[in-house]
Amino acid sequence: MATDARTLPLAIRPAPRGILRSLLLTLPILIWSLLMFGNPQAQADRLSHIAGAITALFMTALFFMMMRTHNTYRWRRIFFVSLGILFPIGFIHNLLVMRGSMGIPIEEMIAGRTPFCFMPIPLLILPAVFTRTLVFPGAIVSNSHSIAAMVGIWLAMTLVMGKGWCSYACFFGGIEEGVAAIPPRAKIRKLDPRWRYLPWAVLLAMVLLSLALFEPAYCMWLCPFKAVTEYVAARSTIGLVQNVIFILLFAGLVIALPFLTKKRTQCAFFCPFGAFQSIFNKISIFEVKINQSRCKPCLLCQNACPNLSLSKESVARGETLLSCMKCGACVDACPRQAVVWHIKGTQIAWKPERARLMFLYGAWALAVMFGGSIIAQGLATILHFVV
Amino acid sequence: MKLRAILGYTAAALTLLVALLTPFLLMGIFSNGVAALPLHVDEVYSGGPTVRAIPMGAYSIGVHRPVYPHFLQSEKPFVQLDWQPVSALPQHVSDVVDIDGDGQPDVRVSFDVPTDPKAPLLVNVESMNPRYPAMSNVGKDKFSRLIVRVDNAILVRVPLARQ
Repeated sequence: MATDARTLPLAIRPAPRGILRSLLLTLPILIWSLLMFGNPQAQADRLSHIAGAITALFMTALFFMMMRTHNTYRWRRIFFVSLGILFPIGFIHNLLVMRGSMGIPIEEMIAGRTPFCFMPIPLLILPAVFTRTLVFPGAIVSNSHSIAAMVGIWLAMTLVMGKGWCSYACFFGGIEEGVAAIPPRAKIRKLDPRWRYLPWAVLLAMVLLSLALFEPAYCMWLCPFKAVTEYVAARSTIGLVQNVIFILLFAGLVIALPFLTKKRTQCAFFCPFGAFQSIFNKISIFEVKINQSRCKPCLLCQNACPNLSLSKESVARGETLLSCMKCGACVDACPRQAVVWHIKGTQIAWKPERARLMFLYGAWALAVMFGGSIIAQGLATILHFVV
Repeated sequence: MKLRAILGYTAAALTLLVALLTPFLLMGIFSNGVAALPLHVDEVYSGGPTVRAIPMGAYSIGVHRPVYPHFLQSEKPFVQLDWQPVSALPQHVSDVVDIDGDGQPDVRVSFDVPTDPKAPLLVNVESMNPRYPAMSNVGKDKFSRLIVRVDNAILVRVPLARQ
């Protein structure tokens, strides 16, 4: 059962920070946001500048609320859901303007103009190692949608946040997180914990299939988000089958199951990129730990986790599972403040707020840069329609 | 224990530095690093490198290296021919092409060049060498047999017969 941290008694939650202190802590993010969106020399029209300014204020305001309330998950979720909604708006609008369709025509693939998202990264590794070939119909360099540009962004952000990518950068996860937030209670409360191994199986199968078929197999056959981005133009029966699979997976894993379970079911049970990204939690210096001297254990943290990244056993060991997305839901749900942000090598009980701040400054700075620019693009698209 | 804590905080501070340097420096360094790797896009998509250009007066035909799909890839082997620039092409093209450069004609390729760049294209290929099978009224059904317009060129992919 998912538990909302807001239902916990206020007396045992940390008192809000003072407004002045919260403002001071937010100042670096305000300056950063202005740096990212306040460039008057940038080649953009007036509405894009307005969208940039709104985004800068939005991201700064959310960070201020994180500082003021000590709550990470609720405010991060607002950003993440906005990202999930606005990314398809900006992206689909661009596709329609450029090519008049969401379908990828074969000419665009041959010209290397298919935008590269991060999902195929693990699928490209084996073919690249064995044959020096990238099995993706895009360009290695040339523009911001090229393979090198996306891999560059992903590498830098992964160094900073590990699997936090899935909570602060992924432009797909926000859709299901938004859907999961709609119902007050989960209709399906009992989930077999063995499902959490499925993304690893999907990853293994897709990596091997991509090597054998020499195509990004997940993108061609299983990506639910093709339903809201760009899909294979249905030139044949196979193309039609692929599109039906995309729509069914999107309807099931991104809409229906998150609504019924209040979990990010696509991320928890299916996403091969998420499984791959879990590996980088091993090198990330930030993690979430459970202070066993404070833990009851009531398992509210386990219930709050949208990704099934906590189990009875892991709570008993005082740690999250490898798949932890660092979203902060468990930290905010714990009434005894036993679940804490932690820097590897330091004592668990010693200044967890310092660890939270160090993680959040890095993660939020990159969220402003990457997710913020996507939000601004989506907002600009809406403004162009409205104004 | 204290040393581990110092190392932990140092690594955390460095991580923060990485975040701050990302948009200004690191993203570019990483992207350039990836671009510098000896990698290329799969030739089934790119068509492979051009090995010869056959001058045809106002336009030319680029002949690409044959592309052989990998392992279980669903496409057949093919060779790509590029007619460019499109602006110099006549309304109807019917050219004999020596694909392998042995001085003997291999195929006759015929197609209409519509003035509307978005109009669908169809190609006929008459075989003059058993290595290159004939094609009739082919559009863009597969990567290994197609005619498409890409920027200022018309690309025709002729499948290769099994040897």
